[in-house]
Amino acid sequence: MSTTLTPPDAQDAARRQVARDEDAASARRDRRANVVRYLGMPIFLLVVLVGLYLWVSGQELDSIEARTLTMDNLLGQTRQHITLTVYSTFFVLLLAVPLGILATRPKLRKYAPAVIGLGNAGQAIPSLGLLALLFYIFRTQPALPSTGTFPVVVSLVGYSFLPILRNTMVGLDQVDRFVLEAGRGMGMSNRKVLRSIELPLAVPVVLAGVRTALVLNVGTAALAFLFGGGGLGQTIFSGFQLRRTPVLLTGAILVAVLALLVDYLAGLIEEKLTPKGL
Amino acid sequence: MSDVTNAETQAATLGEDTAPGETMIELQELTKRYPGQETPAVDRLTLEIPKGEIVVFVGPSGCGKTTSLKMINRIIEPTSGHIIMDGEDVTTIDPNQLRRRIGYVIQQIGLFPHIRVGDNVATVPNLLGWDKDRTRARVDELLDVVGLPPDQYRERFPKELSGGQRQRVGVARALAADPPVLLMDEPFGAIDPITRTRLQNEFLRLQEELQKTICFVTHDIDEAVKMGDRIAILQEGSRVAQFATPEEILTNPANEFVEDFVGTGATLKRLKLTRVREVEPTEALTGIVDEDRDVLRRRFEDSEWTAMLLLDEQRRPIRWLRGTDLRSSRPVTEVGVRARAIVEPQATLSDALEEMLLGAAGVAIVVDKRGAYQGLLDVDDIITAIQTMKDAQAEFYRAAKLVDPEAEGAV
Repeated sequence: MSTTLTPPDAQDAARRQVARDEDAASARRDRRANVVRYLGMPIFLLVVLVGLYLWVSGQELDSIEARTLTMDNLLGQTRQHITLTVYSTFFVLLLAVPLGILATRPKLRKYAPAVIGLGNAGQAIPSLGLLALLFYIFRTQPALPSTGTFPVVVSLVGYSFLPILRNTMVGLDQVDRFVLEAGRGMGMSNRKVLRSIELPLAVPVVLAGVRTALVLNVGTAALAFLFGGGGLGQTIFSGFQLRRTPVLLTGAILVAVLALLVDYLAGLIEEKLTPKGL
Repeated sequence: MSDVTNAETQAATLGEDTAPGETMIELQELTKRYPGQETPAVDRLTLEIPKGEIVVFVGPSGCGKTTSLKMINRIIEPTSGHIIMDGEDVTTIDPNQLRRRIGYVIQQIGLFPHIRVGDNVATVPNLLGWDKDRTRARVDELLDVVGLPPDQYRERFPKELSGGQRQRVGVARALAADPPVLLMDEPFGAIDPITRTRLQNEFLRLQEELQKTICFVTHDIDEAVKMGDRIAILQEGSRVAQFATPEEILTNPANEFVEDFVGTGATLKRLKLTRVREVEPTEALTGIVDEDRDVLRRRFEDSEWTAMLLLDEQRRPIRWLRGTDLRSSRPVTEVGVRARAIVEPQATLSDALEEMLLGAAGVAIVVDKRGAYQGLLDVDDIITAIQTMKDAQAEFYRAAKLVDPEAEGAV
């Protein structure tokens, strides 16, 4: 094919050998880096948890502390905390991703700024304020429960709506328009272009938004106990009110560990779902 | 009187090298008007594109050439007018069905970055619902055709390819379902000059076999002259300033706009019109790599040549050898200088000249498509070719002025 075919000579072979050696070396480096990347975070979190356990066990706990820091109590709260996070993330994905897709369609594009504005407003309100506001609204509506999981999930959805919406829109927007034109030019329908080109190429950015939202939700769910939603916020707050440092620290560290763990898992999913070749 | 002359000569030029073909695409009063704009981007473009030819749309930027092209597959929907393809009015049919019958290559290539090269090429066959085996066979065939060995490239991702390789994949993808029509929007525009020349030559060779009907947009008159069977020079609003063969446009520009656009150096541009295969190459003194050295030396000493071209077993040029090289004891593949300035038959004389000037030997080696040696081309050959063209041109003008039946016969 080439107009300047040159016979391979000894130099080329030597160069190729060097290149192969370099490849092998970089593959070894990659493997080592991978071990650190994949196992570093879980090991760190495990060390923190064990350290916390040993430290609390070594303390002389008074009756209040002993009553709060039982395994049952903490596990129950952790489970509630995770439930709140998972529910709210599930519903926010269900709402924000389709809305983001709709808002980037050519026909609805003119509404995009309004949609973004709405999401911005959701996040601009302080999380505690948003919770209180919803609590107040729900109390005036007899049909809606004003305490428990429901209002907390609703407010978490409102709060984490923006990062996912915005990242969905940005993710779809940053897809190279010539790639889309090539797809359309070959006779792909709009739906096919969306499904086989736009969405896969938007995945990394959308998932970055999901990751942000998850971490936000873990943090905000610590306020859920104020509205009867439970969660690890309970432990933090009682430690704070009763001036019991071991209780306060245990709650705070558990929330932090949970947030880091969620971020780590989301990172793994992000890596898994990001199409190769990007 | 002069009108008749013009029409006659035009008919003569057109009739000369193109068989009276059928029309593949007919554009009728095609117009694009963007809302809020005073003047239409494309104003009643009417053009007939003959089957099996490359028609190049060329013009200054903003003249509407790309818009015109993109209206043919309705990536841009025309405001009014009709597109007739192969006798069928396709202006209102389902655009997705239409586009599957038209190959589409754009400057930015637009390969899907998240899927492998093979799957990129398989896009249209997949849309058409071909079965797996047929698609796979077709993908491999096409990768081969564009010079990317399938076993090496099928499983790669686009980011692992160079710009030139990506555009090859782009061309393969456009040809996948064997569409009769190709639209190419500055396909080689973003590629470095050396690779561009190579891709252009390869594409012309491919087109010789495929005989597709091709609309090709460029802003580069040199590329238009090289690639086009016919050139449509477009003015603002896609108004056709001249629609004719490259020869006609270079020798007989229709108006001042065309003259200005074609610019100076028309003779040098004409070098791009003549292909290497149209010039008889000279024989060189050659030797095959596995011949006995004494045989080679004797042949060299018996000749008048100052150097011998060494070919490999497939007759591909490898090295230039001089007398001292032949007398030395080192293997013939290690002495002398590497043979450079190698051109294929469909390269233009302009390419060949450039290679000659770059290479040390002052000659270009002509090879066939498998890279086997055909002959040599030197500067004298090119000067002769220019002289012949000039004579033909002078002859042409004289004939046009005199309308002398005898003189015309001489053309």
